[in-house]
Amino acid sequence: MSSRVQAEQHIEVHKFYAGAVVLVAFLALVVQAFLNKYGSWAGLLELPLLVTIYFALSRRNPATGLLLGGSIGILQDAVSHLPIGIYGIAKTLVGYAASSLGGRVDTEHPVSRFIMVVIFYHFHEAVLAILNRVLLARPATYFSWKLLIASAVNAGIAVLLFPVLDHLRKPS
Amino acid sequence: MLDFPSRRRPFRLLTVVVLFQVLLLAFQIKREHDVRLIRLWAVEILTPLQRAGTWSISTVRGGWRNYIDLRHTHAENERLHSELERLELRNRQLESRSVEADRLAVLLNFRDTRTEAPMLAAQVIGASADSVSRTIFINRGEHDRVRRNLPVITPDGVVGKIVEVFPNSAQVLLIDDKDSGVGALLSETRTHGVVKGTGDPSLHLDYIAPTENVHAGETILTSGDDRIYPKDFPVGTVVQVKQASPFQTITVRPAARLDRLEEVLVLLTQQEISPKKLPDAPEPATANPAGNPAEGAPSEPPLPQ
Repeated sequence: MSSRVQAEQHIEVHKFYAGAVVLVAFLALVVQAFLNKYGSWAGLLELPLLVTIYFALSRRNPATGLLLGGSIGILQDAVSHLPIGIYGIAKTLVGYAASSLGGRVDTEHPVSRFIMVVIFYHFHEAVLAILNRVLLARPATYFSWKLLIASAVNAGIAVLLFPVLDHLRKPS
Repeated sequence: MLDFPSRRRPFRLLTVVVLFQVLLLAFQIKREHDVRLIRLWAVEILTPLQRAGTWSISTVRGGWRNYIDLRHTHAENERLHSELERLELRNRQLESRSVEADRLAVLLNFRDTRTEAPMLAAQVIGASADSVSRTIFINRGEHDRVRRNLPVITPDGVVGKIVEVFPNSAQVLLIDDKDSGVGALLSETRTHGVVKGTGDPSLHLDYIAPTENVHAGETILTSGDDRIYPKDFPVGTVVQVKQASPFQTITVRPAARLDRLEEVLVLLTQQEISPKKLPDAPEPATANPAGNPAEGAPSEPPLPQ
């Protein structure tokens, strides 16, 4: 027990400048909505998911991660044609999982970030597919080549985006 | 930032948050109720940002494109003073606005040459923030007499229908969304079917029997059966036909460029939009663009102007 406490004490929890999280989350939604206006290719991107993963990994607090993910997801639902809660639940689970994982693995290395975003992207899409099938009785695929490409694209963007977001951290 | 008392019991919090959202979903699905207040708040917060973003990007894009042109055109003229360059740039920005004005003029001309059916020009200010639904937001809402289920078109063809109305904006469900359906007919055989969205850029024409002769390139028009879209307006063109049972698999390319929408027209009525009759012009033999007799009266009376 004591060794676990000692181990957790070494985990760095990052804090951010006031309003940075809210501002970035809004910006991600606005940019995503703006890009979606210009065609289906933008559907490959999931900026709100990247923001959820980033802040959840950085904060390493499951409660914060799930509430942030839930809020972003509900806002995303609200400006879509879907019932409110679909993206909310998916991002709540991603926020929880990412912040739980953030305390256990290296989340700073680009390769580690790439792999985690790929995993969380597929987890997010799997939850969406389950909810669509079970709750909405809508057809949804668990896996496709398009999803695989999209996960790689998002992971690539995350590798570039996360260091930019690192500048919003308060110096420890 | 954001430290919560439930930090030590995150799994319990996770259960509560997920359960709350499942119940919210169940409420919306079972009772067919929408959680309008949440959507209203979200849209009211996000649309001003989208509006500003659309304006800024279009200004910057026009300016940037023309700046590049300017540099290419006048590459040999290096003696231009910076002040003159700025003035040229400004001039080009105004020209890009002129191009936008031309686009609007096309819409205006389309509106003026049609029947008295009231139409409203609207600008596309954003889209949904998810990759599943195909919706856009326009800068017209309740204050402009926009209401649910009104058809949205461009001079090229059908775009979609209004699904949510907010005070100063409205959400349009595009015809390529998975939940979209348009009553349609084949222009040559007048066979009725339903054009459904797939979530991809192409559409499907369903419920066409294998005995019907359909070929690539055939135009698909609205049938008016859905009581939303006016009859005989272009929906798309057949691009592929596959024989299948019990119905053919017909792939359709939308007539309107759904991935390049900037301005659209909202029809404030579902009456036909055949060409306007001139006061002293002789009675035309047919009243609609497809050359078929106009069937039936408008499905509902036009809104007051």
